[in-house]
Amino acid sequence: MKADTLNGQLDPLILATVAEEPAHGYAILQRLKERSSGAFDLAEGTIYPALHRLERDGLLSSSWSTDSGRRRRVYSITRAGTSSLEVRRHEWKQFARAIEAVMG
Amino acid sequence: MSWLDDLSGELRARRVPRRVRHRILLELRDHTACEPGCEDRLGHPRELAVSFADELATSEARGSAFATFAALAVAAVVLVVSLIALGRFAHYPGYSNGISTLLFFPALLGMVVAPQVALVAGTLAAWRALRRRRVASLPADEIGLIHRRARVALAAGFATMAGLELYVVDFSQRLPAWWLGLVGGLAAVAGVGLFAAARTLVRARAIVSGAQGQAGDIYDDLPLLGWRWLRSRPWLLGALAALAVGVALGAFEAHAEHSVVEGIQRGMFEGLAAAVGFVVLGRAIGARPAPIPVESTALMPLLTAPPDRLVADGDRARAELLLREGYADGRLTLGDLDDRISAVHAARTVSELGAAVADIAPPS
Repeated sequence: MKADTLNGQLDPLILATVAEEPAHGYAILQRLKERSSGAFDLAEGTIYPALHRLERDGLLSSSWSTDSGRRRRVYSITRAGTSSLEVRRHEWKQFARAIEAVMG
Repeated sequence: MSWLDDLSGELRARRVPRRVRHRILLELRDHTACEPGCEDRLGHPRELAVSFADELATSEARGSAFATFAALAVAAVVLVVSLIALGRFAHYPGYSNGISTLLFFPALLGMVVAPQVALVAGTLAAWRALRRRRVASLPADEIGLIHRRARVALAAGFATMAGLELYVVDFSQRLPAWWLGLVGGLAAVAGVGLFAAARTLVRARAIVSGAQGQAGDIYDDLPLLGWRWLRSRPWLLGALAALAVGVALGAFEAHAEHSVVEGIQRGMFEGLAAAVGFVVLGRAIGARPAPIPVESTALMPLLTAPPDRLVADGDRARAELLLREGYADGRLTLGDLDDRISAVHAARTVSELGAAVADIAPPS
């Protein structure tokens, strides 16, 4: 599945992934791939502008941690992010049900 | 040169702030360390840098517009408090009783005209930012428009506070010390707020965005101004705005001073100031529509489209250009041109647009 197909859905997917457990960029990407069985074939770099945007919008927060001598930015979901995720989940379920009803 | 070096260069070229750049590079360094050789899957450094810069420029432009509006709100409160305190407790000293009229008239302009410019430009900047708050990446031209509006608003805000300070100096020997101290201090505090907002604007303007698209204008911001035919007559919009400002403030003055003559004088002054402001600043703040680069020949395929298809602003602009070419060729009179331009800007469908241009459009 290409990035175009994911248009508008990357943000809630990231929020859903981080909601499980705080994670850094690479780990978020790996989780996305695992949970989609490799269906999301997006340019890996695109996740970072999205992470920064979500943080600017107050939906994620982040802090530095050190692992094996490397500094990495770990992202957590905020309360506003959790609320936003719930809204997006609800919208997605409605949309999916409607598509399912039509497409069969 | 490594992939990270390329990315660093691209981010620097787009003037992404050093702190943000440093963070991006650390994150991407960690990513490549997790899986050596994954650079190909990260995408091209330039595209990634463009994505970061465009989104950051958008976010900073919105932030600077809101910061400008907040700083202007504080300045507005300072102005209102100062004038109420002057009128109720200190009394107007009369313009000729100050140190010099060379101080008074610039002060008057700063306290009367500049706030109106600040109100219009600051509100338009904040409104555009608010209206487009869900867009991750705005066109560079639109970001430029938000910046220009904020810059004009801040300049007018500074002029307002400078006007207050000049007034304080001019009447320092006439007005009570408490009023001079209060107003001088409040204006200085508001000035600090404006300065802080100006810094956010300078930071936002530094980031290079390259996203394509049009800036839009006041007609996009205010649906109530959906009179499309006015788009081709910006002078008429300016005249209407000046008339509205003059009548409103003239009526206010006449009521407050119980004098029709003073009301008329104030109304004429305010109307003239609004007209001058529209001419001088209209294009900068998007109150006058920006010219749309068009070629009239691009209109021809549209005219064969289904007659009930809706037309866009670009189609109307191309049709207008075609009509102006027809006038230049001598195929239309000035009266025809005027009537048809009105029809073009009122057109909603291909058939309505086609009725205005079909007899002068060359075959597609």
